[in-house]
Amino acid sequence: MVAERLAEIVGPAHVLSRQSELLVYNSDGLPGYRRQPRLAVFPGTRDETIAVVRFLAEQGLPFVPRGAGTGLSGGALADDIVVLGLHRLKKIISLDIENRRATVEPGVVNLRLNKHVAPHGLLYAPDPSSEAACTIGGNVAENAGGPHCLKYGVTLNHVLAITVILPSGEIVELGSRVGERDGYDLRGAFIGSEGCFGLALDITVKLTPKPQAVRTLLADFTSVDQAAHVTSAIIASGIVPAALEFMDGATIRVVEDSIYAAGYPRDAEAILLIELDGLEAGVVADLETVRRICLDGGARQVRVARDDAERMKLWQGRKKAFGAMGRLAPHLIVQDAVIPRTKLPEILATIHAISERHSVMVCNVFHAGDGNLHPNIAYSADDPAESERVHKAMVEIMRACIEAGGSITGEHGVGLDKMGYMESIFSETSLNAMCELRGVFDPERRSNPGKVVPIHACKEWHGIPGSAKARAAREAPPLEAEPSHPVAT
Amino acid sequence: MSTERVATAIRDSVAATGSLRISGRGSWLDAGRPVRADSTLSLREDSGVVSYVPGDLTLTVRAGTTLAEVADITSERDQWLPLDPYGSSAGTIGATLATGSAGPLASSFGAPRDLLLGLEFVNGRGETIRAGGRVVKNVAGFDLSRLLTGSWGTLGVITEATLRLYARPAVDRTFVIDLGGPEKQVTAIVRAVVTSPLAPYALLLLSASAARSIGVSESPVCLIRFGGNEAAFKAQVSALSQISRPQEMETKTWLGIRELDGNAHSTVRISSLPQRVVAHAARMLHDDIPFIRTTIDPRRGILRIVVESDGEGGSAELPGDLHLTRDDGGNASEVIFEKLPPDVWSQVSPSVVSDRLSQGIRSAYDPHRVLNPGILGD
Repeated sequence: MVAERLAEIVGPAHVLSRQSELLVYNSDGLPGYRRQPRLAVFPGTRDETIAVVRFLAEQGLPFVPRGAGTGLSGGALADDIVVLGLHRLKKIISLDIENRRATVEPGVVNLRLNKHVAPHGLLYAPDPSSEAACTIGGNVAENAGGPHCLKYGVTLNHVLAITVILPSGEIVELGSRVGERDGYDLRGAFIGSEGCFGLALDITVKLTPKPQAVRTLLADFTSVDQAAHVTSAIIASGIVPAALEFMDGATIRVVEDSIYAAGYPRDAEAILLIELDGLEAGVVADLETVRRICLDGGARQVRVARDDAERMKLWQGRKKAFGAMGRLAPHLIVQDAVIPRTKLPEILATIHAISERHSVMVCNVFHAGDGNLHPNIAYSADDPAESERVHKAMVEIMRACIEAGGSITGEHGVGLDKMGYMESIFSETSLNAMCELRGVFDPERRSNPGKVVPIHACKEWHGIPGSAKARAAREAPPLEAEPSHPVAT
Repeated sequence: MSTERVATAIRDSVAATGSLRISGRGSWLDAGRPVRADSTLSLREDSGVVSYVPGDLTLTVRAGTTLAEVADITSERDQWLPLDPYGSSAGTIGATLATGSAGPLASSFGAPRDLLLGLEFVNGRGETIRAGGRVVKNVAGFDLSRLLTGSWGTLGVITEATLRLYARPAVDRTFVIDLGGPEKQVTAIVRAVVTSPLAPYALLLLSASAARSIGVSESPVCLIRFGGNEAAFKAQVSALSQISRPQEMETKTWLGIRELDGNAHSTVRISSLPQRVVAHAARMLHDDIPFIRTTIDPRRGILRIVVESDGEGGSAELPGDLHLTRDDGGNASEVIFEKLPPDVWSQVSPSVVSDRLSQGIRSAYDPHRVLNPGILGD
């Protein structure tokens, strides 16, 4: 009955209800978690989206908004409830070149927006590594980052306004398309709400002028420690690189063995990929400073990309590194902790010790400039003993990052994956304050239920009657109790 | 002085069905709508550094720490917090965040919301809440830091904040361009500066009365602040010289700008599309009305009008003909009132939190309406 009514709204081709068809939607980019949806609906227009949300509200049905499904937190999973996919809403509604802003539908792919505005000398700054597939709506939900967020800031800093449909079906305008607005920063509250506050019908983003000059450097080191210290030295120098990325020896060799080979030195134990941009004269001067810091810090060589082609190749290796991990083993688990940047050498040594202790291979490829680690382990989930070791190592790594004064996630979001850690970094009253905020946007907790904040942390939570809803509200077990069982990446 | 003291004061106020006026150093208490409160909770004494690791470029301070104190602490390590809100350096970090106040540097470094990494605050039930963290990138949990910024104390009393710092640039120099010529010429200069590849730290246009009040000029001017390495600086000054004839000013000129409010009885900020601001800038700058000081940040699309008391108890009228505020296909300008005579608020802007979401959030965080009741309207 629900499927039929939804089919009337969006057309039968855009409602999936057969279990076999729904398999595609049972995980996101982090296949450690799987949940089978009850059905999936894909509206093709704004009006259809509104009608779908209002129908679900009438029926009291919980749902999970989903963009391209590239998330890395298990956040877009629907446990026997409705997936509301927005990837068909891909209109670039307006482009205002003079005022450097664009209004887009939520399903517009990040890279497509960038290609669309590039001829006008503009760019959309947040650049998650999944930029070729991820959507702006998903970026807003996750407050997505990317390598260039070191200088340019994350999604939060680039969104002016969002038209939101609340789970109740009510439509609200958050933020201001022209710039500033009085009152509470509801736009700021919505960004990064991981689909728990409703969904965006359109998003107005700021565009950034393309920098006059760009230089990309590759510095290679014979020890991880040297590269970590050089990272700290560059940050301390006051230069704000556009990006400052770190890859360890294990990652370098995996990438070089793959189709994404970028010409990284295979015998290096670490490389830093550093990008400087801005005015030509300023960039040239900073380039010399950075080169000197690298060489003083023990770099064997500092190579500067000669042209755009070489620059793209160097970046390709970095951005596709997770994909290249597929060569090592069928399954991959990746973390997203952030640590104070001065702690980088110490934490990398700790991660190394943890990986030795549990006999797992941790690859480190991450945004060193802002201390956002992405330790990842390729392994086989079919081997229970190995899965157990991997899980233990990941928990220890996370604990070490928390103890160092860090955060559990810098850009991937909490979703299901990191919910078990929320109580390690936030008090009961702080978590309850988050629940209360959610309760205002979504009093029935129907939009992406059971994510981000553990339900038992919500004082006001009394559950929703009805079996489907009660199931949806079921609390995900803490991570310790549920070892990841990643499937193919 | 501690978070617990703030929590106790709030709980006591709830128990006594009272209400509190939240105050930092009390330097801007005439801003916002009149507050109906029976006592003041001051964070004046709750100041000082909690944690400062220069290598991380992050600073955690108690909310009563002043901007001047932050500047002193960070400059010892050749760093700074690039926030220059209107008012003076005697203002506190807590108040700057609570009011979301930004100055000319915001066009390059962002507003307070963009520099804030984490907060501790006490809600209207006297519960202590932490949001965000002390690292430069963080998406753990819903973003209460952004929610509290600009909430004028009505959702919680900010007791501690962690902020992102920047290294002081090798060069930080300021230039002035005369905009006293005919409107057409002024528009051309402003457009050329805004669309050029120049990347100044700050760019601000001042009406003649504003320029006069800080002793810079008798005619409208453009102030432009360059920072960065020597090479970038030289290239920019050279590029600017192609557009106009810049004269160097002391960088402390910007301190004067921050104090433009002086004895203002009304301050209004208009946010509009940047190019619309550029198109109207020349005309607005040439309206040399006594008692009205206008500044324009063309890159952010912000026009700020300060109306001064005339010293005889009377006051100038707000300019009524603001072309900027006309609707233009869903892009109507936002008019933000910072300061008005107390009796005018109810006619001009009774509330900015009357929508269902804002009301719901207020009720959740301050159910007894203890915190700054009335400051954003009911």
